Amino acid sequence: MAIRGHLTSSRRRIAWCITVMAVLAAGCASKEQVRDATHDVNAAFRAEYETILATNGTRVFNVSRAEAYDAVRVAMARLGMIVEAQDPVLGFVNVYAAAPRPLNLEEWRQAADADLPKLREVARPHVGLAAGFIRFEPEGLQIVINATVLEGAAGSEISLTMRMREVAPPPSGFPRREYAPPTAVRMGLSKIWAELEREFKTTYRKP
Amino acid sequence: MTDQAYADALAPGYRMHWYTVERVLGQGGFGITYLARDNNLDQLIALKEYLPVDVAARRPDATVRSRGDGLGERFRWGLDRFIQEARTLARFDHPNIVRVHSVFEFNGTAYMVMRFEEGENFGALLERRGTLPEKDLLRVLLPVLDGLELVHNAGFIHRDIKPDNIHIRTDGTPVLLDFGSARHALGRSRTLTILVAPGYAPFEQYYSNSDSQGPWTDIYGLGATCYRAISGVPPLDAITRSKGILGSTREVLAPARAVGAGRYSGWLLAAVDHALEFAEKDRPQTIADWRRELADEGRTAGVASAASQAPAQPAAPPEAAPAAPHSAGTAASPVAARTGWARARAPIAWAVAGAAAGAVAIAVFLHVETPIRDAEQQLAESKQQLELERQRFDEVRRRDEDKRREDELARKRLEEQQKQDEAKRRQEEQARLAEQQKQEEAKRRLEEQARLTAQQRKDEAKRRLEEQKRSQSIAARSAKPPAAERHAPQVPDAQRKPVPTPQPDAPATRPPPAVLPAAPDPVETPVVVATAKPAGVPAPSLQAEQLAQGEAALGRGDYADALENFRPLAARGNTRAQIRLAEMYASGQGVKRNPNQAYIWYSLAARGGSARAAADRAKMAAQLQPAEIRQADRVVESMRAR
Repeated sequence: MAIRGHLTSSRRRIAWCITVMAVLAAGCASKEQVRDATHDVNAAFRAEYETILATNGTRVFNVSRAEAYDAVRVAMARLGMIVEAQDPVLGFVNVYAAAPRPLNLEEWRQAADADLPKLREVARPHVGLAAGFIRFEPEGLQIVINATVLEGAAGSEISLTMRMREVAPPPSGFPRREYAPPTAVRMGLSKIWAELEREFKTTYRKP
Repeated sequence: MTDQAYADALAPGYRMHWYTVERVLGQGGFGITYLARDNNLDQLIALKEYLPVDVAARRPDATVRSRGDGLGERFRWGLDRFIQEARTLARFDHPNIVRVHSVFEFNGTAYMVMRFEEGENFGALLERRGTLPEKDLLRVLLPVLDGLELVHNAGFIHRDIKPDNIHIRTDGTPVLLDFGSARHALGRSRTLTILVAPGYAPFEQYYSNSDSQGPWTDIYGLGATCYRAISGVPPLDAITRSKGILGSTREVLAPARAVGAGRYSGWLLAAVDHALEFAEKDRPQTIADWRRELADEGRTAGVASAASQAPAQPAAPPEAAPAAPHSAGTAASPVAARTGWARARAPIAWAVAGAAAGAVAIAVFLHVETPIRDAEQQLAESKQQLELERQRFDEVRRRDEDKRREDELARKRLEEQQKQDEAKRRQEEQARLAEQQKQEEAKRRLEEQARLTAQQRKDEAKRRLEEQKRSQSIAARSAKPPAAERHAPQVPDAQRKPVPTPQPDAPATRPPPAVLPAAPDPVETPVVVATAKPAGVPAPSLQAEQLAQGEAALGRGDYADALENFRPLAARGNTRAQIRLAEMYASGQGVKRNPNQAYIWYSLAARGGSARAAADRAKMAAQLQPAEIRQADRVVESMRAR
C-alpha cells in the first residue's frame, strides 16, 4: 500500500516536472518560433493526411443510400463517437468524441511512437531543444469526423474526413495542431471502415 | 386475460414460417405482441405484429389490409418505419435495450422477432406498488440511461419513454422496449394524444417538429417516469402545463422536490425536476449531463451525510443511529452512583443520587421526547403541506380542465372562422381569376382584331397598289404607239419598274404610308408569351408563402418553425431558403453551429445565382480544411444532380 502510494506520488512529481519543463521550454521559444513550428507541423501532417484520404478516405458499398446513412451513424456510435449534426437530405453526418476516440489509449500511444519523432524533427529548426518536450496529448482535444453518403451508380459512396478540435488549452502552452497525427488518421479510418464492413455484413446480408 | 379479449389477434397455434403463436402478451393502438415459439431453436420469443387499428384491419384469411384506399399510403409508410425500427434496434446489442433478432413481412404486414424476457412491465409494477423507494428506482433508472445513451450517440431518439415501455426482468434489471418511430411515422394525421403518451411526452413532441427533438426529449420521458415512481401519479401533460405557464406566473406541476420531500434524496428530486423542465433548452441536454447530476450529486450527498455521521457513530450503520442516545444515557447513570465515599455519607449520597437520577431521567425524557415530538410535528406539517399541495394541484387541474374546454371551444370557433375565411378567400380568388381571365380574353380579342385590321389594311393597300399599277400600265399602253409596243422585248413587270421613264402620275405610285411596316410583330408577341407560360403555376406562390412563414418565424425567434419551413424549400432548390438555412448553420441560430453544413447550403445558393451566397460561402470555406471543402463540394454536386 505504502509502496503504491510512493510510486503514485513519484509519478505525479515526474509528470509535474515534465509539465514545468515543457512550459519553461515553451517559454524559451518565442511566440513567432512556436507559431512557425506549428505551421510547419500542420503542413507536414496535412500533406500526409491528404495522401491517406486519397487512398482510404472514400469507399463504395452496394447498399441503398438510406441504409448506408444509418450504418454510418451506428458504426460511429459503436466506436464511441457522438452524432453532433446530421442531415439526411444532404447525406451528411458530423460526429465527435474526446480524443483519442475512435482510437483507444494503446492505439494512440502507437500513433505517437510512430509520428512524434517526425513532428519533433519538423519543429526543431524553429524551437530548438523545446521540440523534445512536444508530445501528443489527447487531453483537451476532441476528434471530429465528417461523413457524407452519396448515391452513385455502383452503390452508396461514403466519404470521411477527420480533424482535431481543441476544447481546453494544453498544459504545455504549445499551440495545437488541427491535423491529427497521420498514423492516428490511418488507424482511425481503418477502424471505421472495419466497423462499417461488419455492420453491412450483419445487417444487410444479401441472401 | 384470454385471447378472446383481442378480437384482431391471431389465434393460438397460428404458424408463420417457423414461429407458432402461443398467446397474446399485449395490444396497443399500433400492434399486437404475442408470445410465440421458435420451432427451429425450440425457444420462446416475443413477436410484435404491426397492426395500427385505425388505419388497417385483419381479414378473415389473417392478412392485414388498410381500411380504405386513402389509408393505404399511410399504412405502407408506417410499415416501412416499423421495419426500419426493427433494423435500428437490431444493431444495438445492449443488455438494457430489447434484443431484436429478426423482422419479416407476412400477411401483408410485418413482424418483429424479439427475445422474450420473463418479468413484469414497469408500468404494471408501479400500478401495483404505487411508488418506488429511491434505491429501487435508481436500480431501474441508471441501466436504462446506459442503454439510451448508446441509442442517442448514434443519433436516434426513442420518443416514447414511459413506464409501460420499460420491462423489468426477473433479476430486477430493466429493458427498454418499443421505440416510437413507427408511431411517429403516422404523423399529424392522428390524434396527438395517441401519438404521444400524455404526461410522459414533452411539449416539443406535440407540435411534431423533429428539429426541436433530441436527447432532451427522452430525458423528459425518463424524468416523468421517475416522477410517476416518486409521486404515484404521472406529471401533468405538457399541453396543460403550457397553459398553466401561459395563464399564470405559477408552474402548475407540483415539483418532485415538494412531492417527494423527506422520502427521497434532495439531489435525486432536483435531477427529476431538472429533467421535467418545460422548455427543452432548460433540461439536461445529454444523458451524460443528467447522469452527472445523478452521480456527482449523489456521491457528494452520500459523502456529506457519512461525514456528518462519522464523529458521533463511526462504525454504526445509518439505521442504528437513532438508538445511540439511549445507550449513551443509560450507561452514564450507574457509573455516577458507584463511589467509595457515598457509603459514609449515605443520606447525602442518596439525595444526590436521587437528584442525579431525576436529572438524568428528565434529560433522557427531554432528549428522547423532544426529537420525537419535533419529528411528529414536522410530519404533521409535511402531511398538511402535502394535502394543501394536493388540493392546490386538484384545483389547478380542475381550472385547467375548464380552461382546456374553453380553449377547445375557442379553437373550434377559430377553426370555423378560419374555414369561413378560407371559403371566402377561395371565392374571392376564383372571382379574381375569372376577372383576370375575362380581361385576358378581352385583350386577346382586341389584339386579334387589331391584327386582322392591320392585315385587312395591308391587303387593301396591296390591292390598291395593284389597281394603280394596272391603271398605269393601261394608261402607258394606251399612250405609246402600237408599233413600238409590238417590237419591244418581253420584260417582266418587276424589271420594268425601275426604268426611269417619266411617270405621268408619280404621287399615285408611292405606297401608302404606315401600312406595310405596321403589320404583324408587335401584335403577336404577347400572345406567344402568354401561351409559353407553364400551366401549373401555383407552386411558386406556395413556396413564397412558405418562405414568408419561415422569415416571420425567424423574425420572432422561433427557429424550429423557421427550420421547418426553410428546410424543404432549400432541398427543393429555393435559393432564398438555402441562404437562410446556411445563415442559421453559420451563426448557430436554432441549430448547432456547423460550418460544413453552412458551406454546403451557401454553395447550393451560389449555384442558384446568388452573389451574396458566393461571398459567404468563401467565408465558410476559410474555416474548413481543403479535404472538407472537396467533400462538401461533392455533396453539392450530388444535390444539383438530383
